[in-house]
Amino acid sequence: MSARSTTDHGPRTIEAGAPPARYARGWHCLGPAEKFKDGAPHEIEAFGTKLVVFQARDSGALHVLNAFCPHMGGNLAHGTVKGDALACPFHDWRWGGDGKCAGIPYAHRVPPRARTRAWRTLEENRQLFVWHDPQGAPPPEGVTIPRIEGAFSDEWSDWTWHTVRIDGANCREIVDNVVDMAHFFYVHNAFPTYFKNVFEGHVASQYMTSDPRADMTAADTLSAQGRLRSEASYYGPSYMLDHLWTETGGATVETVLVNCHYPVTPDSFVLQYGALVRKLPGMSDEEAAQAAAQAAEGLATGFEEDIAIWRAKTRIDNPLLCDQDGPVYQLRRWYEQFYVDVEDVRPEMTDRFEFEIDTERAVAVWRAEVAANLARRGTGTAAGAGEK
Amino acid sequence: MVMQPVTCRTCATEVLVEKRSLPHTTVQWTRATSHCPELAGHGPARVAVCTRLRATIEQAVRDGALEVAGDDE
Repeated sequence: MSARSTTDHGPRTIEAGAPPARYARGWHCLGPAEKFKDGAPHEIEAFGTKLVVFQARDSGALHVLNAFCPHMGGNLAHGTVKGDALACPFHDWRWGGDGKCAGIPYAHRVPPRARTRAWRTLEENRQLFVWHDPQGAPPPEGVTIPRIEGAFSDEWSDWTWHTVRIDGANCREIVDNVVDMAHFFYVHNAFPTYFKNVFEGHVASQYMTSDPRADMTAADTLSAQGRLRSEASYYGPSYMLDHLWTETGGATVETVLVNCHYPVTPDSFVLQYGALVRKLPGMSDEEAAQAAAQAAEGLATGFEEDIAIWRAKTRIDNPLLCDQDGPVYQLRRWYEQFYVDVEDVRPEMTDRFEFEIDTERAVAVWRAEVAANLARRGTGTAAGAGEK
Repeated sequence: MVMQPVTCRTCATEVLVEKRSLPHTTVQWTRATSHCPELAGHGPARVAVCTRLRATIEQAVRDGALEVAGDDE
């Protein structure tokens, strides 16, 4: 299986391509809704422009508008919430959450067509989402963010939340991870034993079972404690929910991770992630918060490992794959549906596709590597955890 | 290796299947999953496998109707 072809085709040339000039159609999470409910406008740099998020004082609703005032270009994020409207700091023009000009205090009347762009919003799982569609259409039926009951339950911890901006990489890099079984071993010190992807409609799922690595300490790996089962799905181009069940000391710890991003420019994006943990029987709020913080810390370590790879790697449109790699090309075919006009979405982008990896070879090789690491450590040759 | 058509013994849906080895399976659907008794009604991609289609594929391998790459190795 690992035999090389005897035909010499010459060295492979990487096609780096260029990141798409447009931004994906879909719901994008901007962060915890609570963060935007402090009475002040918040600037968000996204989709190659700037947006402003504010809470209408009277109705309490969250709104998203273009940040720049269509009057003279003032930045509304530096303005003030006045009633249900947002006032520009430049000339006090007032903008409602629907994008209509709600008043110009120094003018006799508001120009009849005075409107700015109001972005469609959604609050779910205590998070704020904004709908982006270059064609300006509303989300199709069924394209929404699923509700996570744990986000509203006393039986679960509160969300932890982290935000990090990645410069010099297109957000496709993070989506590629959905199919990348081997990187879990080499980058994240995990040990996948089962790995399957399913793409269908606007959802891309990853079903994985991962074992702890005997040559790693808890700090080195996401699944130090025990066998971990994970069901992760992207709902659209940028919002992933990952349900995890970890066996630890006779109990099963249930965790929900969110991994989401929004694009800033074609080669930068803001990555956000958080965790919820179901309280074990007898667990106090503090202990649950601690468990969630621990899960978030593991997640943070994982993303730091990914980020180090992204910062140093090249974009690659023609990855050279082996038999045991996941379906990178089919994942990108699925992902492309969000970058073309709706009328150009082809059936093969959304038809159900399943790919179950043969992990036999990888598991055997990885077992041997783990055993060798342990043996080397046992003989005191200073081989550290994490040595590759 | 090419994708080979397999017709599910339960719902008669035809899918395209590739087996690179016994543990590996690729399934490409070419129409909606709404006639599948195990997938219909669930969110898209939220069920990992239809066990009846899976059984059909495994039977096709046993019957020799579905070629598995690497068999001759």
